[in-house]
Amino acid sequence: MPRILTVDDSRAVRSIVRKQVSEMGFLGVEVAEAEDGQQGLVRLGEMSVDLVLLDVTMPVLDGPGMLAKLRESGYKMPVIMLTSESKTSIISNAMKLGISDYILKPFKAEELRAKIVAALGAKLQMGAAPVAAAPDPTAGIVAPSVLPTAPVAIPVSHAPTSLNVDVMLIDDLENVHRKLRERLPATLVMEGHLDAQAATAACRGKTIKVILIDNELPGVEMKVLTRQLRLLQPGAKLLALALPSTTTDLAKTSKDQGFDDILFKPFGQDAVDDFLIKFFDSQEILACTENLFTVGPFRGKEDRLPTYFERLTTGFKDSLKKAVAACYDDIILDMTNIPMRQERLPRMLLEFTASTKEQGIVMKLVGNADLKKLLSAFSETRTLLIHGTVQDARVARG
Amino acid sequence: MAAGSSAAIVNWIEQSILKRIEDDTLTLPALPSVTLRCVEILRSDDFSYKTVAAALEREPAMIARVLRVANSAAFAGTSKLNLQEALTRLGQQNLRSILLEAAAKQAFISKDPKIAALARTTWEHSLAVATLARDLAALTGNDNAEAAYLGGLLHDIGKPVVAMTLLEAERQIVEIRNQKWIDSNAWGEAVNSVHRKVGLAIAEKWKLPAEICRCIRDCSEYDNADRGSIVNTVCLANAVAKINGCAVGPVDVDDQNALIMIGRSLLGISDDVLKKIAAQLPERVAGLFE
Repeated sequence: MPRILTVDDSRAVRSIVRKQVSEMGFLGVEVAEAEDGQQGLVRLGEMSVDLVLLDVTMPVLDGPGMLAKLRESGYKMPVIMLTSESKTSIISNAMKLGISDYILKPFKAEELRAKIVAALGAKLQMGAAPVAAAPDPTAGIVAPSVLPTAPVAIPVSHAPTSLNVDVMLIDDLENVHRKLRERLPATLVMEGHLDAQAATAACRGKTIKVILIDNELPGVEMKVLTRQLRLLQPGAKLLALALPSTTTDLAKTSKDQGFDDILFKPFGQDAVDDFLIKFFDSQEILACTENLFTVGPFRGKEDRLPTYFERLTTGFKDSLKKAVAACYDDIILDMTNIPMRQERLPRMLLEFTASTKEQGIVMKLVGNADLKKLLSAFSETRTLLIHGTVQDARVARG
Repeated sequence: MAAGSSAAIVNWIEQSILKRIEDDTLTLPALPSVTLRCVEILRSDDFSYKTVAAALEREPAMIARVLRVANSAAFAGTSKLNLQEALTRLGQQNLRSILLEAAAKQAFISKDPKIAALARTTWEHSLAVATLARDLAALTGNDNAEAAYLGGLLHDIGKPVVAMTLLEAERQIVEIRNQKWIDSNAWGEAVNSVHRKVGLAIAEKWKLPAEICRCIRDCSEYDNADRGSIVNTVCLANAVAKINGCAVGPVDVDDQNALIMIGRSLLGISDDVLKKIAAQLPERVAGLFE
């Protein structure tokens, strides 16, 4: 049966320690008290003690004095300084005498609990009810606004070492991580975390495009979390992962919480694909620099290809209008990255050719051997001239 | 001056520098006029990015830097921006940091090889402290993480100036008076004893905000009364940087570990989180001087 000795000249502090320990849900932990170092040494002689919580400034014999004497006497139990003293030299000397940790007064029950667990480890047995309600003992940030009350995090690892992360997911349910990973294309780097503090710590030194956050993460003040994430990842889009609600205006609530958008749970493949198009494909599907139109690669699931081609067609028409307005005589369409789909590609190219002709503009095509092979299989597209590089297209006569 | 012992020379140097600060005769690095003007504009209540852009017009190097940062992946730079768009994307606080960082770096550049090496190490240490302080501030819910970055970056800004002054004194004593100079330990002692006061004089000259001045003056001990303050954040970041190999000169490991132990409780940060944000710190700041 583990015993903690609290040595403090303040009766109020001793009472708070006793009360907090009793509410932490440890089975059979006893708390003994002493009001100064001298009395503390007497208690050590009277009973077995597994952990000492020791104040610094006390009458008769102070904390450092008691610490020195108990070590001289051969006691090896862990000692945590629990004090309002923060002078480096005092704590440095106490460290030399083997204190295992330090708590600054005033303190929170979460911090005391985490440090008792760390010091006593296997000697502690957990009771059922209070532990389930207690905060995560491994919690890093003990500010109550951020502290998740979820159980100890089980690592959810999706390429966690990558410096460029496409999607970071923060959700305390592991199956949500698994489902999202299944629905995202393998080319996207996803990193998952079960709690907010692990996620914020992992943001260090990385560039993240989109962060998805369960808007009901237990014990997390969502506004504080989104503010922290914005500071750590100013370029990331923050999306709330939310269950649809008929009673709450989720769009407004999530905006107030600092989110850019919402992805509703449970999400199917269609919802994820729409999410991909919105946050990953929109700017890459057709990049235009002056009269050079560069087609971006397709990154989605196979059954979303029709959407890709539709968006490419729309993007082409819009960009063509701009090229006409800018009085270009020709445009170069670089299709090196386009997916080779014989059912879509030739027809789309014929449409493009017709549109450019209507506008009195010459379209020069750039593509690889696969594109040439595919187009040569159809009589309508066999005669189209495909240049190997953008440079070749530029110097070619219209 | 009473020549002879190393302690006497150190004492003379300290007194001499403090006197020169008091008399306002110590040569301190000046803030470039454009930076000063921009910082003043950013501080005013009715500032506009258009005015900042106009003030920056004659500083192509600074414009290039601003555009580079605003177009970087960290700020979601997907399309190229013009100067005013870049300033808007960066925002008031980031912009102030970028301007002051560029100006402060000038104080760490020296043609003298002896000073250059020290200044370079000090700058890398400062960058490490700044990066950690910004992360710690964000993790503890402090909404002024950029001030923590600046506080970390500038907390040792007095050091290169003191080093320069020591070098001048060395030339006087060794070359002109042909007397023995102090060893490297005494040299470090002299720098450490006065650099905060010199740093504070620079901060006042640059009209830096009070919280940054506090980081320069008080970041070697915590202030219990203001637990989540920027200065406490910088104090913890300073100790973590030193223990993780980003230090200038010898480190008192016991003192730094004590500072970390106190800081963890003060700011409510676990050891695991500290380890994560300090991972590979020397590698991350190495080479950033160039």
